[in-house]
Amino acid sequence: MKPPKNVLASGRTNGDDWIEVAPAQLPTILTELKARGFRSWSFMTCVDHLGTPLVVPPKERFELVYQLRNMETREQIRVRAFVPASDPVAPSVQEIFAPANWDERETWDLFGIRFEGHPDLRRILLPDEWVGHPLRRDHPVGGEPVEFSDDHQSWQTAPAEA
Amino acid sequence: MRTDTEPQGMAITRESDSAHLGGDIMTVNFGPHHPSTHGVLRLVVDLDGERVVGLKPHIGYLHTGIEKQMESLRYQQAVVATDRHDYLSPLFNNLAYALAVEKLMAIEVPPRAQALRVIMCELCRLSSHMVWLGTSGLELGAMSMLMYCFRDRDRVMDLNEEISGFRMHTSYIRPGGVMADATDNFWTLLERFCQDMPGNIDEYENVLTSNPIWRARTIGIGLLAPEDAIALGATGPMLRGSGVDWDLRKVAPYSGYEKYDFEVPLSDAGDCYGRYLVRVAEMRESLKIISQAARQIPGGPVNVDDRKLLSPPREELETSMEAVIHHFKIVTEGYSPPAGDAYAVVESPRGESGCYLVSDGTHKPRRAKFRSASFVNLQALEKMALGGMVADMIAIIGTADAVLGDVDR
Amino acid sequence: MGLDQLPDILGDNIITTSLGKLVGWGRANSVWPAQFGLACCAIEMITIAGPRYDVGRFGSEAMRASPRQSDLMIVSGRVSQKMAPVLRQIYDQMPDPKWVISMGACASTGGVFNNYALVQGVDKLVPVDVYVPGCPPRPEDLINGLMILQERIKAQGLRLSL
Repeated sequence: MKPPKNVLASGRTNGDDWIEVAPAQLPTILTELKARGFRSWSFMTCVDHLGTPLVVPPKERFELVYQLRNMETREQIRVRAFVPASDPVAPSVQEIFAPANWDERETWDLFGIRFEGHPDLRRILLPDEWVGHPLRRDHPVGGEPVEFSDDHQSWQTAPAEA
Repeated sequence: MRTDTEPQGMAITRESDSAHLGGDIMTVNFGPHHPSTHGVLRLVVDLDGERVVGLKPHIGYLHTGIEKQMESLRYQQAVVATDRHDYLSPLFNNLAYALAVEKLMAIEVPPRAQALRVIMCELCRLSSHMVWLGTSGLELGAMSMLMYCFRDRDRVMDLNEEISGFRMHTSYIRPGGVMADATDNFWTLLERFCQDMPGNIDEYENVLTSNPIWRARTIGIGLLAPEDAIALGATGPMLRGSGVDWDLRKVAPYSGYEKYDFEVPLSDAGDCYGRYLVRVAEMRESLKIISQAARQIPGGPVNVDDRKLLSPPREELETSMEAVIHHFKIVTEGYSPPAGDAYAVVESPRGESGCYLVSDGTHKPRRAKFRSASFVNLQALEKMALGGMVADMIAIIGTADAVLGDVDR
Repeated sequence: MGLDQLPDILGDNIITTSLGKLVGWGRANSVWPAQFGLACCAIEMITIAGPRYDVGRFGSEAMRASPRQSDLMIVSGRVSQKMAPVLRQIYDQMPDPKWVISMGACASTGGVFNNYALVQGVDKLVPVDVYVPGCPPRPEDLINGLMILQERIKAQGLRLSL
C-alpha cells in the first residue's frame, strides 16, 4: 500500500502494518485512510513509555495508537503518534470516526491526554471528581497492601521516573 | 450522598409536542441499579411523555482497572484477569489474549489445540447467546425463555467443567495452547449435547419467532441502517442484523476457522427482530462448527513444546534437573516476549473483541488494551432509541447485548 | 363435652411454639432477594433461579427489582468506586429486617483485583451476614450460603437485626 503523505515512519511488526505520524497530522491521515476504505474502527488507545527498559526508548512518553481495518481489502493499519509529556494534547478525530468519541474520553480519563475539538471531554469510567489518571505509569496500582507477597513493597509505590 | 454531576452538552432544546397542553421534557434516570439494563448501566433519558427525545449513557459503574492490573501480572498470570472483563464470553477474551501473546512470541499452537479452542469458543458463543436470549425474553415478558435457556446453558457449563474443572471463567485457553486435553467423557457429553441442542433451539423459536407479542415488540424497533452501523463502529450481530456481511471468522480467520464450513447469518431488517434472528441462526451455525471440529480433530499435543513458555509435565520434575529449572523460572519470573506490539482479534458473540499487547521485553506487559465490542456497540444506543417509546428502550438495550464488564473493564 | 376431652378431640392439630420461632421460621423461608447483580457472579445468581438449581424451593423465587420490597441483598460482583454510593443507597432503602450475602471473591475482599478501581470488600460499605467465596461460586455454593443465612434468621427470632 502506498503510504499517505506526512508519514514519518512506517513498518511491519509481528505481522501488523503501522505508520507513524505527527499528532497534528492525525485528522488528515485518518480522513485519507477512511477515504481509501479503512472504515472499520478497531480501537484507539495510549501507551505510557515512562521508565521503559528499552535500549532505544520511544521518542516521547505517550504514544497514541489507532487501529483501522479496510472493509474491502481486509487489511489492517496501525497509526502511531507520539505526544510529549510536557504538553499532552492531540487533535480529536471523533468527527471522522464516531466511535472515537468514547475512546478519546477514556484516554483523557485514564491517561490525561487532552483532545482538542472534542465536544464533551470529561471522565467516562471513573467518578467525575476523581483526581489523577490511573493508567499512567507513575500512578500506583492502588488497592490494599498484601502481606508476604513479592509485590508488597512495589505495588503501592510508583516506579521511579526514567 | 454524592450525586453525579449533570453532563454538559446535553442540550434539551426541543419543545415538547404536548407543550400546548402544558407539557414539558422530563429527565428520568435509569439505573445503575435496574432490572433491565443488563448490568450497571445508567441512562439519563429525556422524555416527552412516552417518547424518548434524548439519551445519554453513563458508564463506569463496573470499572475494574483490569488493564492496569495486567501491567502488574506476569504474562501467564494475566490469563486469569482476561476472563473477567466480558464475563459472558470468557473464552473469547482468553483466546484474544493468547493469540496476541503468540503473535508477540511468533509461535503457533498445534492443530489439536486449535480445534479444541474452536470447540470451546463456539460452546461459549452458545452459552452467551442463551443468556442473551433468556434475559431478553424475560424483560419483554417471556419468562419461560429464561428457564429454557438456562437449562441448556447448564449443559454447556457441564461441558466446561468436564474439560477444565470450572463452570465459568475457565481460563482454558492460554498462550501456548490449552489447559488440558479433553477427556473421553467430554466427547460423549458433547455428542449428546450436539444431538439435543437443535431441538432445543427449535423450542426457543417456537416460543418467540412467530409469537405476535414478541414480533410487535421487536419488529421495527431499534432501527439501525447499515451505513449508520458502520459509521458508529458496530460489529457483530449489531452489524450483521443490518445486512452487512462482516464476520471476523471469515474476514480474518484465526485458529483454523477456515477449515470449517459454516455460514454467516445476515438480516436486512436492521431492527431488534432481525438481530434476534441473526443470533438464533448463529447458534445453529455454532453447532455445525462444533460437530465438524469434533469429527475432524487431529491427534497430537495440546500445547506448544516450548519449555521457556510452558511448565514441563509434573512427572518430569522427578527425574530431570532441567525441568525443575524451567519450572522454577516460569513460576517465579515468567517469560519475556521480545519488545514490540501485537493486536489479535476474535469474533466474540458481541462483535470484534481484541487484545492489543505492548511488550517492553520484560516479564510483565507494558500495556494490555482490550478492544471491547460492547464499548463501541453501546454508542449506537442513542441512534436506535431516539424517537421511540420508553418501553421500546428495554428491547433496544436488550438487543445491543452489551456486557458492562466489557464496557467498563 | 368437657374441657378435659379437648386434647383427645384436637390431638395433633395444634402445635405450640414461641412467637420468636414462628416469626423466624416465616422470615427464613421467604427471603426475597433484591437483584443486585453487578458482574460475573450475577450470571451464577440468575442460574440459581433457573430450573436446575431452583432457589424457589427455598422461598427465594421472588427476586424483587425494588429494594423496598426485598429483604436480602446478594452483592454479586465487584463493587467499583463509582458504584459504592449507589450500593449504600440501595441498602439504606431496604426495610428492616434485612440481610446481606456477599457473593464471590470480589464482593468479599476485592477478589482478583487489588487495585485503585474497586472497593476491597463490600463489608466496607454494608454489614455482611454471609460471605460466599468463589470466583464465581457455584450455584450450589450460593444456595449453601442462603441456607446458612436461613439458620441464622431462624435463630434471630423476633429481633430486627442479627
